[in-house]
Amino acid sequence: MTAARVELEGIVKRHGAVTALAGIDLEVRAGEFFSLLGPSGSGKTTTLRILAGLERADAGTVRVNGEDVTRLEPGERDVAMVFQSYALYPHMTVAENIGFPLKMTGFPKDQIFQSVKEAAARVRIDHLLDRKPGQLSGGQQQRCALARAIVRKPALFLLDEPLSNLDAKLRVETRVELKRLQRALNVTAVYVTHDQEEALSLSDRLAVFMDGRIVQVGTPEEVFSRPATVAVAGFLGNPPMNLIPARVRAGAVEVEGHSTPLASLKGFDGKDVVVGVRPSAVRIAADGIPASVTMSEALGEDFYADLLVGELLVRAKIPAGAPRPAERAEVRLQLDPGALHVFDKASGERL
Amino acid sequence: MRVRNVLLLGGAALMMVVWTFPVLWGLLTSLKSERDVLAYPPSILFEPTLGNYADVLFGATTILPNLVSSVIVAGLTTALTMLFAIPAAYALSRLDLPLRKASGFYVLATQMLPPVGLVIPYFLILRRIGWTDTYQGLVLVYLTFALPFAVWLLVSYFEEIPREMEEAALLDRAGRLRALWHVILPQAKGGIAVTVIFVFLNSWNEFLFAVVLGGNTVRTVTVAMFNFISLEQTQWARLAAAAMAGMAPVIVLGLIAQKHIVKGLTVGAVKGGGRR
Repeated sequence: MTAARVELEGIVKRHGAVTALAGIDLEVRAGEFFSLLGPSGSGKTTTLRILAGLERADAGTVRVNGEDVTRLEPGERDVAMVFQSYALYPHMTVAENIGFPLKMTGFPKDQIFQSVKEAAARVRIDHLLDRKPGQLSGGQQQRCALARAIVRKPALFLLDEPLSNLDAKLRVETRVELKRLQRALNVTAVYVTHDQEEALSLSDRLAVFMDGRIVQVGTPEEVFSRPATVAVAGFLGNPPMNLIPARVRAGAVEVEGHSTPLASLKGFDGKDVVVGVRPSAVRIAADGIPASVTMSEALGEDFYADLLVGELLVRAKIPAGAPRPAERAEVRLQLDPGALHVFDKASGERL
Repeated sequence: MRVRNVLLLGGAALMMVVWTFPVLWGLLTSLKSERDVLAYPPSILFEPTLGNYADVLFGATTILPNLVSSVIVAGLTTALTMLFAIPAAYALSRLDLPLRKASGFYVLATQMLPPVGLVIPYFLILRRIGWTDTYQGLVLVYLTFALPFAVWLLVSYFEEIPREMEEAALLDRAGRLRALWHVILPQAKGGIAVTVIFVFLNSWNEFLFAVVLGGNTVRTVTVAMFNFISLEQTQWARLAAAAMAGMAPVIVLGLIAQKHIVKGLTVGAVKGGGRR
């Protein structure tokens, strides 16, 4: 088994009058853990299903290891998939479920038995082989689905929100295991999720989907620290990035009459922009943008203040040890110039 | 709460009586002599006899050949119906075919035709092709009713099975046919059992077409039973014995099928999935 390299080129998919995918170009490198991240309805699951062969693209090409598989049936591609619902066969035991792809491929019985045991042991459900799916807990069902996917040793591993039906604690545990499994098997994984935390923590690289298009591809660090559009900036990060409308004047962004100079803004004078600033880059200071505190809340270890700037709500993270502002207090804000993201207001693109 | 329970129990008991009474009465009648049957008021205590059964099974008026006829007709009808209805219903439930919605109503509409309006045309057609009083003739006519009904019934069962099931099977290299055989059919077992019972029962109990389109070669149990009723007299005890004997195969089938009608088989198959 060698990990597969996947290329999508100009994939278009329409459902009647609705365009689900408006030209997807994507390359997933061999052995990579690649996430398709986006809000629901952005086209990420459709992309995965086209990769799997469960849906036909209206235009475009799918290549696996350079070979055109666009017209191949799902079974003819060397792919395995874990469904959001797990899709376990309820009338079969765990062992029969895991062994099903091998049985369909025509492996001899004793070899199936051996492979099933190995795959089940890898996800630690080898003691449950005689149970039916209905007798398993959610986490065990999920493992059974994983085992069924890895038993065939596919070159490409597709996961459609596999963790979304688990409770929060189990989700984080399984996440780590999933990554370890992918590394141990040296398989290419394409992972669909709407959970940015999952995507950022698991992926080698990820693609952000919005409205049937890919708006940004990169490593989690790249996408997080340099979002390509306002939409990506608003989607990534928890709590989300503050997006403040402003105007460029004399090489500085002007918010509520207060300027924050930025070297990169030369030549954009008079332009209407949106300034993105993460809560951690908003500082309460002696001088700066006037704001009033409306509410403050503790999120675990961190403390956040909701501030009203003009009519806009801006969230600031109060560093540990710093004085916490009282509610309804009038304060001044400084934006960290090194952590500002400036987007064209008209196009939403990063400047 | 207690009062409600008592009322519910009383209602249930009443329904049981209503349902079981005809069967019990038939059973008792079949064990009486013809003279006891006509006694008025009806005698509850009587000397039971198996003479009627001996008569209708092994005597001059034996219905054994008719039972065989019925088994052949109903069995063939059921087998052929399922052979065609399962793939048809599966396709209707899964593929995005044009006129899919309309086809459901069309299927129902065929059930709205009064059979009496069809029996003469069917007779004429069968006579022209020389199929009156043949098994193939009667089975063919039964198929025209059973097939649409079975398709319509099965579609709803197939639709309840999540699509991910065969998508998973397709990715597991089963292909459409093996996905149907290994993954879908086992999960539709309950629905298939129900359909088998309905189709078999309908053709087993059918009388009108059997009496018109049958004859000396193909004479089903229902037609044979009719012979116990004549202008001069009705042989109630024998008729009841024949009815009891005629019920037996259906009861056996029902018991076999019931094992497969297990509700909630798909519970735990998919999380958060289900109908879309």
